[in-house]
Amino acid sequence: MSDSTISTGNIYISQRAIATIAYQSSLESYGVVGLAAKNFAQGIAHALVKDPLMGVEVRQDENTISIDLYIIVEYGTRIKSVASSVAESVRYHVEKSTGLQVKEVNVHVRGLRISDLD
Amino acid sequence: MTDELVFNNKLGKETSILSKGITGQEFKALFEAGMTWLRTNHQYVNSLNVFPVPDGDTGTNMLLTMQAAFNEVTHSGEQNIGKIAHDLSKGALLGARGNSGVILSQIWRGFARGLDSYESMNAQQLVQALIEARNTAYKGVVRPVEGTILTVIKDIAATAEVEIRNSDDLKYLLEKIVAAADISVKNTPELLPVLKQAGVVDSGGKGLFFIFDGFLRYLNNQPLDTAVTTVQSLTALSMEQTMETIEPGQDYEIVVDFRPYKPLNLEEFYSRLSDIGTSIQIGEGDNMYRMHIHVPTDRRYDPIDYTMSLGTITKVNIENLMDQMQIGTSKPEDEIKFSPVEDGNIAVIAVTPGIGIARIFASLGASGVVNGGQTMNPSTEEILHSFENLPTDKVIVLPNNKNIIMAAQTAVSMTVKKVAIIPSKNVPQGLSAMLRFIPDGDFDRNVEEMNEALNDVDTCEITTATRSVEINGVDVKEGSVIGLLNGKLVASSDDLQKTCLEVLEQAKVEERERITFFYGNNISEEKVNEIIEKVQEKYPKHELEIHSGGQPYYQFIIAVE
Repeated sequence: MSDSTISTGNIYISQRAIATIAYQSSLESYGVVGLAAKNFAQGIAHALVKDPLMGVEVRQDENTISIDLYIIVEYGTRIKSVASSVAESVRYHVEKSTGLQVKEVNVHVRGLRISDLD
Repeated sequence: MTDELVFNNKLGKETSILSKGITGQEFKALFEAGMTWLRTNHQYVNSLNVFPVPDGDTGTNMLLTMQAAFNEVTHSGEQNIGKIAHDLSKGALLGARGNSGVILSQIWRGFARGLDSYESMNAQQLVQALIEARNTAYKGVVRPVEGTILTVIKDIAATAEVEIRNSDDLKYLLEKIVAAADISVKNTPELLPVLKQAGVVDSGGKGLFFIFDGFLRYLNNQPLDTAVTTVQSLTALSMEQTMETIEPGQDYEIVVDFRPYKPLNLEEFYSRLSDIGTSIQIGEGDNMYRMHIHVPTDRRYDPIDYTMSLGTITKVNIENLMDQMQIGTSKPEDEIKFSPVEDGNIAVIAVTPGIGIARIFASLGASGVVNGGQTMNPSTEEILHSFENLPTDKVIVLPNNKNIIMAAQTAVSMTVKKVAIIPSKNVPQGLSAMLRFIPDGDFDRNVEEMNEALNDVDTCEITTATRSVEINGVDVKEGSVIGLLNGKLVASSDDLQKTCLEVLEQAKVEERERITFFYGNNISEEKVNEIIEKVQEKYPKHELEIHSGGQPYYQFIIAVE
C-alpha cells in the first residue's frame, strides 16, 4: 500500500492498482504480446496471464516503488528495444497517474511468441 | 551520397524501373533515397515529439534503424529483390532503435516476406508487400494505438489495394501511396487526443511518410538533400482545427517567420522557447525558420521579442485560442453521440438508413454508423473505414439490409481486425441484436447471442410502389402503398392506413406484445399520429412505441415482438 497525504486525509494506492496501470501500458507497448506468470519458472510460464498481479510485481520502499514485469515478446522484434520501451512507458504511466516516483522497472522476458517464421 | 543519388539517376534508368519491375539493386537505391530524405528531415520529425514517452527522438531512431538496415546491403551486388529485402529487414531488426524503430523494422520484415521468392517487384507485388508489412506490424502489439505509424502503414496498404485496380503503373501507385500517407499523417491528431492537444501530427507516422516520399522523389529526380517541405508542412499544421481542451498557458498561439543572422542552434532555441510556452514546433527551410508556440496571455509578446534578437522577423501571426475554442464548441445539433470504445472492448458498427435510426443505434452502444439502406448501399471502403480507425481490434457489424451483407463481408476480408458480421436483414433485426450486445463480454459469445436475437423480431416495411407488378398473388399498381413482411410483399392498397393494418394482421400481431414504429422522412407527424391511433384502436392491449427513423422512401419500418 503506497500512500501520500492531501489536505483532507490520506490516499492509499494498492499494489493491485499500480500493477493494473503497469499491465495496461505494457499491453499498449509495441512488441509486448502479453504478460507471463511471475511465479512459474518453467513450463506454464509461457501461458499468458489476464490478472495484472500475476505478471507484474510491485514493491515499495519509502516513497519510491520498484516494478518487475514478466513479458512475452513478439518473435522477430529487437528484444532490447522492446524491453526499454515498455519500461519507459510503464514508468511514465505509473508516475503520471499515481504521482509516486518509480525507482526502477525491471523487465523479465519470459518467452517469445512466434506468429511467423521468416 | 545524396548528390550521387540525384545525379546518377536520369530518365533512362527510371524508364527501366517502371517497365521491367524493380530489381534488388534498384530497390536498394530507392531505399537509400527514402533514408536520405528521412535524414534531411529527421530534425523536423524529432521536433514533433511532444508525447513525453516513450520515444524521445523518433526521427533519429527511425533514421538509425534505416541506416542499420542499409548497412546490411551496402556492398551487396545482389539483383534478386527478395534477397535484398530480406537483408534489409535483418539489418533493421538488429539495429532497431526505440519504439518507432521497432515498428519500422517490423514493417520491413513484413515487406520482405511479401517479396519472398520474387526476382523483381512490379506494382502487384508492391501491393502484396505493403499488405504483408501492415499485417506484420499489427501482429507485434496487443492493443494497437491508432493515430500512430501503425495507422499510416495501414492506410498506405489500404490505398495500394484500391489503386492497383486502377493502374498497375508503379509510379502512379507510389504517388497515390504518398498522397494517402500524407492525409493519414494529417489525420493522426483526430485519432490520438494527446497529439491534438499539443497541436502536432504523429512523429513516427511523419517519419514513415518521409521514407515513402523519398522513394517518389527519387523516381521524379527531385533533390533529397534540402528540407523544402518543412515550412510548408508547419503551415498545414498550424491548427485550423481547434483543440479539445486548452490548458492554462495555452491562451495564445504565436507563429513567427524569421531569417536568423547566423546559423541557429536548434537545441538552445528550443529550450529557450520551452521556458516561455508549450506546443513548440520549429520548421526549417531555405534559411527561413518558422516557430510555433502556445503561450499564456501575459507572455504573448515574449517569443516575438526573443526571435527578434536572433534574426529578421518577416511575419508574425497571433491568434487567441480561447476565442477559437468558443466558436468551436457551438456544434450543430445533428451530432450523434457514439459510445467510445474502451480498451479491449468490442465495437459495433451499424449501417443505418436515417439519422433517427442512427441515433437509436448510438444510444444503444454502437461506436459508429455507416449511412446506407435499400437504395443507397455503402461501399466496402465506407464500411471498412468506419471501424479501421477505432481503437479496438474486435468489431461487430450490423448491415441491417440484405443487400449490404455482402459488402460487409468483403470488408472483413480486407482488415486485420477481428470482425464478425451479424447478418441483420433490416433495422428491427439489427436493433434486436444490438440489445443483446455486451461491450466487455466474450466476442464469440456476443456474436452467438446477437445472431440468435435476429429471429426474435418480425419486420414490416411500408413503402410506395415505383412500378406495377404482381408478386405472391398481390397485385400492385404504380404509386400504391405496399407492405412487406420480413422482406416479402404481403399487402398493397391505395391507402397508407389500410396497408399498415393489413401488414400487421399478416404479421399475426395479436399473438405478439409490442409494436415499434420508425417513421420516415417522407411522412408528416400528423399522418403518423393518425395511423398510430388506428393501430392502437385495433390492438388496445399492445405496447406501441414510436420513433423518428428519418429513413427515405419507407413511410414506416415496424418491428413486431
